[in-house]
Amino acid sequence: MAKARTLDKRRGSIRNIRKITRTMELIANARFKKAMDRATSATAYTRRITQLVADLAHSGLEVQHPLLEERPETHQAVLLVLTANRGMCGGFNSGVLRLAFEHYKRLTEEARTVRTEVSGKRGIAAMKFRQIVPDQSFTHFEDRPAYGDVEVLANRYMDEFTTRKIDRVDVVYTRFISSSKQEPVIETLLPLSSVEGLGAAESQPHTESQYEFLPSAESILQEVVPTSFRVKLFKCFLDAAVSEHIARMVAMKAATENADEIIRQLSMTYNRARQAQITGEIMEIIGGVEALQS
Amino acid sequence: MAQLTCIVVTPEATAVETKADFVVLPLYDGEIGIAPGRAPLMGRLGFGELRIKVAGLVTRYYLDGGFVQVSGNIVSVLTNRAVPAAEMDVAAATQQWQDARQMPILTSEQEAIRDRLLAQARGQLQVARRAKSART
Repeated sequence: MAKARTLDKRRGSIRNIRKITRTMELIANARFKKAMDRATSATAYTRRITQLVADLAHSGLEVQHPLLEERPETHQAVLLVLTANRGMCGGFNSGVLRLAFEHYKRLTEEARTVRTEVSGKRGIAAMKFRQIVPDQSFTHFEDRPAYGDVEVLANRYMDEFTTRKIDRVDVVYTRFISSSKQEPVIETLLPLSSVEGLGAAESQPHTESQYEFLPSAESILQEVVPTSFRVKLFKCFLDAAVSEHIARMVAMKAATENADEIIRQLSMTYNRARQAQITGEIMEIIGGVEALQS
Repeated sequence: MAQLTCIVVTPEATAVETKADFVVLPLYDGEIGIAPGRAPLMGRLGFGELRIKVAGLVTRYYLDGGFVQVSGNIVSVLTNRAVPAAEMDVAAATQQWQDARQMPILTSEQEAIRDRLLAQARGQLQVARRAKSART
């Protein structure tokens, strides 16, 4: 039987770990709420853009834009991987990375060269381990990606895409579906597959639009396409941030519960060990008394 | 008198939501003023100054491109960034202007990119200048 003292010590250290995991869970919970709020306000923007596009589409125009154009051959592809800066969030990073490496392999077969860009320290470390040198790595997005930072990235991609330096941009990130379901996905952002809102209006008959367009519906649409791309990329970052917090929350909740379970078991063993020790000591005393009497 | 409702939305947050008597917006080719009762309008914004006038008071913002939709007495502005004019970063705008001026131009796409950067920097500087003169 183990010594009661060592058991007590172990129980103490597990209590400390439990305190840490519990705190991390609470922090993740608070941050998740904030991240969720940000994601919701981004949705307000996308909803308005979609509404605008739908209104535009009523005037019945053809959409053509360099960002929508499919390239027959992919010479240079870009793979952007969004991971977290920190661990302790269960399968969040590994899920994204597993998908990213699979996709990387596939891309290297298709395209002549593949450029990888990674956001998050965890991703950078994993790339290093696999001996893939990322062309760009970012750690400044943290869990509160600023639109200004994402825009810089988006503008660079668009500029390179229009000048034909790159032919394709894929993003691997964790999509937020609901607070109980998030999954790692690969999304091809460039060439842009569709602009939301366009499809919805096409089914309706084209009526004379009530709007006055300045300068023209086409010109506005030309501007909507890049905006739509930027917002899509931004949404990827926001989704990744929200999913990270949820993953951490779940992982830390499980860790705390596990610590509780271990503490309970250890307490039980400790009590038994203590009881055994006491019994042992009593036996010794009785033995001693008996020896003296005889 | 009828009033306008002016809503400025950026991808990060709803920057402004206020009642207004008169709104001036930077369209792609110049400014447009919107008074209550304006016919429905959809326009492309440039880089420049948004002025919202409420009860004789003017609030100024820098708008970074985007769109405007006017319908009913609601002016909704979708923009990348809405910065209060007093908080403009002049140094960064000047730097962007200088960098853009030195970009190599070989194709028409590169030219378009440069023009956009220049227009953006120009808009920012203009807003900053106006904000300064409005204060003095």
